[in-house]
Amino acid sequence: MNHYTYSDIKIGDEEIFTHEITEDQMRLFLEITGDTNSLHADEKRALEEGYKGRVVYGMLTASLLSTLAGVYMPGEYSLINSEELFFVKPVYVGDILQIKGKVYEKNDKFNIITLKVSITNQNNEKVCRGKMEITVRQ
Amino acid sequence: MNREQLLAEINDIFKDAFMDDDLVITEETNAEDIEDWDSLMQITLITTIEGKYGIEFTLDDSLAMKNVGDMMDLIIQKVK
Repeated sequence: MNHYTYSDIKIGDEEIFTHEITEDQMRLFLEITGDTNSLHADEKRALEEGYKGRVVYGMLTASLLSTLAGVYMPGEYSLINSEELFFVKPVYVGDILQIKGKVYEKNDKFNIITLKVSITNQNNEKVCRGKMEITVRQ
Repeated sequence: MNREQLLAEINDIFKDAFMDDDLVITEETNAEDIEDWDSLMQITLITTIEGKYGIEFTLDDSLAMKNVGDMMDLIIQKVK
């Protein structure tokens, strides 16, 4: 885990990590949230609708941004204030995602950083993009 | 409305939307020129422009916008 304090962080700083989406994660997400929507839970239905298989929950993909903030940028002193996200392509089980965050703005009055975030798959296709505002607690 | 001034205002909207302070657009700039200019970003741009200028685009208008110049033509036409 990183331990960046507000003063350590500069505009343009970047953190990247990768994560594979597994069947088990999908099962656990369903168990936690109770989201039984057929797009995520019914392979046949998802195929009928033109997808390559069950679509991974957008919020499961987005949950990796919690890791981005809480472990990588800034790490230990993270407190997520808000996120604005766009899910621009579907994610499937087995996809290997690269999660990237780049510091776009700093608010010195409130110790808040704005991260420009993007998640790409193993084919270098962007599947999610947006921004996060994070208070850096030290 | 002065076309040069309008382009500068739209450039500011684009900088905010794409979170890129260095972004410089021209009337020829289109979705292939900017990495994140996808269908969802098109909606963001259109709704931001509608709000700023107090206008409303139809679905046909949205489909007809092939580049920044097309956007400008429609804004000028609707603001009149």
